[in-house]
Amino acid sequence: MSFVEKVCVLGAGSTKYGKLADSIGDITTQASVAAIDSAGIDPKEIKAAYISNVFGVADKQVHIGPVLMSNLGISDKPSLSIESACGSGSVAFREAFANVAAGYDCLIVSGVEKVTHTGTDWTTTYFAYCSDFFYEGQAGASFPGLFASMARAYLTEFDATEEDFAKVAVKNHQNGLLNPKAHLQKDITIDDVMSSAVVASPLKLYDCCPFSDGASSVVLCSEKFAKAHGGDYVEVIGSGRGGSPAALQGREHMTTIPSTKIAAKAAYDMAGITAKDVDFAEVHDCFTIAEVVDTEDLGFFGKGQGIQAIREDRTKLNSDISINPSGGLKSKGHPIGATGVGQVVEVYDQLTGNAGARTVKDAKIGLTHNFGATGASCAVHVFQSV
Amino acid sequence: MSVKEQFIENAKDGKVLTHKCTSCGFLHLSTVYYCEKCGSKGFEDAIFNGVGSIATYTIITVAPAGFDKYTPYAFVIMQLDDTDLRISGFMGGIATPADLPVGTRAKITGFDERGIIIEKQ
Repeated sequence: MSFVEKVCVLGAGSTKYGKLADSIGDITTQASVAAIDSAGIDPKEIKAAYISNVFGVADKQVHIGPVLMSNLGISDKPSLSIESACGSGSVAFREAFANVAAGYDCLIVSGVEKVTHTGTDWTTTYFAYCSDFFYEGQAGASFPGLFASMARAYLTEFDATEEDFAKVAVKNHQNGLLNPKAHLQKDITIDDVMSSAVVASPLKLYDCCPFSDGASSVVLCSEKFAKAHGGDYVEVIGSGRGGSPAALQGREHMTTIPSTKIAAKAAYDMAGITAKDVDFAEVHDCFTIAEVVDTEDLGFFGKGQGIQAIREDRTKLNSDISINPSGGLKSKGHPIGATGVGQVVEVYDQLTGNAGARTVKDAKIGLTHNFGATGASCAVHVFQSV
Repeated sequence: MSVKEQFIENAKDGKVLTHKCTSCGFLHLSTVYYCEKCGSKGFEDAIFNGVGSIATYTIITVAPAGFDKYTPYAFVIMQLDDTDLRISGFMGGIATPADLPVGTRAKITGFDERGIIIEKQ
């Protein structure tokens, strides 16, 4: 794939993640205004918006794009809503990336979700609609249940324990304590995870990311546009997408997510790098097992060795490779339509020196990895500081 | 009767309706319309007994709407005998992992509002 223009992230902003009182339209606007201010541009320079959202209907607002554009004073500009379950944000980002690469000079990507007011029962139910419903959701599978099935397969196949999975949660909560916008700012221990209520055996409450409300937004532009505006920017050097069988039953290995491997290879090839060149990564840790599988599928560790890396603290902040310095979905939170965009916000903050106490030292290359459902869809992006 | 309806009728009889590619022989669950291996659209029915062993599973305690009355229950993925195919389903009456070691023999016993029903053999 070849492109006309180099693509840059010129600005980024997020609301806090958590239980938010404002409407879905309002939080989308708040994050977008933060990104526009961060970019130092006039909203009228934006040519179009890409909106990622899954359950707008739960807050009585679909067709969010025109609401956002009206609030930004650019109601004449087009917008497009994109849904790819929990991977919506990175897919929207990818579409904007491709359009800037093809010649648009400035676009905005805004991801949002507002679901916590519906309660645990209904959020669990809505999310189950992201599965291959005939085989999974219909049979009572929740999302924790699907990843729990993956976790049990991993425990069966490899030398791993539930305590090892718990260490992922402990690490990400430690990172999240350093992120003022994180949903769950709470120091936890392995014992806390192990003694928390079982949600879907073998996963317990603290193995699971929270249901969150939140919005994140980034301004994407051509290199020429970024240089002309003079603000901090980072370059997008790799972009890849991939797919997997929709149901877990159809995967060759139930402890590998094919779409991650396909997307990562495409992104690495475009960037001309390998996994070894990545300084830090925001990966899709919707459940503790997911982070372990992700770090293997992205090529940071061999198959079955991601668990050893966790045990040896090799993925902590400023260790071999910092995984989820933001706190990840686990601690920062998972407003599903916003998550993939929020990962880019973290990479932008890291590579422009705005990550505060959670800064990954001397980082030059950051990666985002975000998937939909159990990884039926996935996008990976690679970024470089300038 | 649609393919999906035929699949459901077979499941009610404890069977799994699969489609075998007439070009390359690759086997798919019957809800596939093009061969994953060769892209061919020609299939012949191949019906298997819905028996196998549990490949992995979870026991759900926080359930989606409508499933509260069944908790705790298992969502299982079963490896079908004599094929490379796996199939998922609902299994009631499972409270702890000791009730269902991986590898436990199981079979499809029906299809209802809980989708494919699988029980221990």
